[in-house]
Amino acid sequence: MEVRLERINKRFGAVQILKDIDLVFPSRKFVTLLGPSGCGKTTLLRMIAGLEDITAGKIWFGERVVNELAPRDRNIAMVFQSYALYPQMTVRRNLGYGLRVRGTPVSEIDTAVERVARILEIDHLLERKPAQLSGGQRQRVALGRAMVRKPDIFLMDEPLSNLDAKLRVTMRGELRRFHLDLNATTIYVTHDQLEAMTMSDLIAVMHHGVVQQYGTPAEIYSKPANLFVAGFIGSPPMNFLEGEISNRRFLVGDGSLPLPALQVEANAQKAVLGVRPQDLSRAPAAGQDTITGTISLVELLGSEKLVEVQLQNRKRMSIQLRADAFVEMGALFHLRFDPQRLHLFDKESGNIIPASN
Amino acid sequence: MRRLHALLSSDRAVGLLFIAPFVVTAIVFMVYPVVEAIRMAFYSYNPLRPDLSAFVGIANFEFLFSDPLFWDSLWQATVWTLLSILFQTILGVGIAMLLHRALFGMAFFRGLLLFPYIVPTVVIALIWRWIFNPEIGVVNYSLLASGIIREPVYWLSTPTMAMASTIMLNVWKYTPFVVICVLARLQTVPLELYDAAKVDGAGFIRRFIDVTLPQLREVLIVVIVFRTIWTFNKFEEIYLLTKGGPGTSTFNLAVYSFEQSMASLRLGVGAATGVVMMIMLLIGSIVYLRITKFGEEVR
Ligand SMILES: Nc1ncnc2c1ncn2[C@@H]1O[C@H](COP(=O)(O)OP(=O)(O)OP(=O)(O)O)[C@@H](O)[C@H]1O
Ligand SMILES: [Mg+2]
Repeated sequence: MEVRLERINKRFGAVQILKDIDLVFPSRKFVTLLGPSGCGKTTLLRMIAGLEDITAGKIWFGERVVNELAPRDRNIAMVFQSYALYPQMTVRRNLGYGLRVRGTPVSEIDTAVERVARILEIDHLLERKPAQLSGGQRQRVALGRAMVRKPDIFLMDEPLSNLDAKLRVTMRGELRRFHLDLNATTIYVTHDQLEAMTMSDLIAVMHHGVVQQYGTPAEIYSKPANLFVAGFIGSPPMNFLEGEISNRRFLVGDGSLPLPALQVEANAQKAVLGVRPQDLSRAPAAGQDTITGTISLVELLGSEKLVEVQLQNRKRMSIQLRADAFVEMGALFHLRFDPQRLHLFDKESGNIIPASN
Repeated sequence: MRRLHALLSSDRAVGLLFIAPFVVTAIVFMVYPVVEAIRMAFYSYNPLRPDLSAFVGIANFEFLFSDPLFWDSLWQATVWTLLSILFQTILGVGIAMLLHRALFGMAFFRGLLLFPYIVPTVVIALIWRWIFNPEIGVVNYSLLASGIIREPVYWLSTPTMAMASTIMLNVWKYTPFVVICVLARLQTVPLELYDAAKVDGAGFIRRFIDVTLPQLREVLIVVIVFRTIWTFNKFEEIYLLTKGGPGTSTFNLAVYSFEQSMASLRLGVGAATGVVMMIMLLIGSIVYLRITKFGEEVR
């Protein structure tokens, strides 16, 4: 089922939490709401679930406005950050609760519970109570409870944040698989960009209650719409240099760099240049299109080496090199910029200055 | 000498030194009276002739168990305790849930709540005697004026109404205690549990049964144990309101014990009553905690 948000606003008292959110979650897609803590992700998800009042705007499920519909009538399922399992019930009763409340016949409940338990590989835990489960097992039960009812819309609020790093990676793949099996529209909340990038069909990047950019992971990574998205997405984070555009070159401190052709040619415009550590390379010698600095830090990340270069204006840039690259602390380093892999942002608004192509 | 020095300089000794005042106080004011009461239960003791005091074996208990008033008092104490606890638990949970909602003005009511609990029982009992006075009491006046009753109700002078009044007093005075315990617990119930239940389709009543009540279980068990012990042993509320009357219709075991000791000067019988009460409460509490499996729940 398609979910559509139309100019959704949320205020708690005088504080505006969400501003004019317009989003379409296409049927059966996995869409992630991504943003830093406190940007309003949970609030938005709870509004879609019907757990939070809508200050202004409309929420559509398919052809229907659901603003006034109680959560139980929305045919949604939700996985909560703390899992919210009923502590006094066994796993079996937790899984079957939604069906039991709706008066489903016992035999049907049993079949459904056992089917889901098998899929999630928790069938040996059915008689335990939540307190007797590990974090990962609880998480599966929470997922199972949401899956049992065959919902149209599957809502998840940071379901992996309580798991250890390794389990989180495994579960990413599994959640994606469940999504494909489930055939429901999934709306997933996280502040972890890696989760968002690896699992989603579409990502909505949020900040201060506003959607900053909505697109596929690839779009968001390669064409960030503004400084916030550019800085938030990608690891290690993008490097930024402040300077000025002049004659298709970017003047920064004592150097200058070549720029790609811009859609609207700008001159003497204050701008911020962004470049990812992966998109920088090392030039053998100083030249027209390089900037030189000294190596101030080297970090081995395993398959890569992260090198920090301090420029003359004391600004630090990080560059990702192969692990076997030879670098020496304090040595000179000539940075080469690929004009096709630069991002230019207006200094005032923070918005992208699009290149022509 | 050296050993004493070593003992004094050890942490253990310092610790013992710190708790010593409490231990001494406890022995003097708690252990000694209990032991003395138990001893007295096996003696015949008349405060006017202490010289005639003598060991009588289980004669006091024999007297007790053959006294019909003892059995009446036991029955009345049970009724008064069970009904008091029942009403204050139900009311207490209900009021706590109301106060838990963040409604305007609730802070004021929360403050007001402690009032009955703070006012001394003597004051309350006297006021209640006025309130329930058949001729000039405000209760009858209101009921008559609003047409709910035609004849004045003799609140404290018929056995049933007197018992009902003492129960009402107890409920009125101690419901706030239940409310405060329950309210404190309610504030720690994870809100996501309610959200999960809403999404699962549970209405208000199911959410109460499946989310709220299980979370209140432990606190209610504790509250009920303590309230039962305190109510069963309660003396002053009944005595000040009805003196155990009319007749002996509101005697409980505490009033019975008092009357045996002070009016009939049978201190041994009074003490024996106390011992019986203690044993009954002890057995009752243990059985109750076993049945409810208190503390065995894995959290
Ligand atoms: N009931 C409430 N009353 C007032 N303010 C609230 C309430 N709930 C949330 N807020 C505020 O709304 C903002 C958004 O909260 P929300 O929980 O949606 O953030 P989030 O994006 O989910 O953050 P996180 O990643 O930390 O979970 C926060 O500033 C928070 O303080
Ligand atoms: Mg959140």
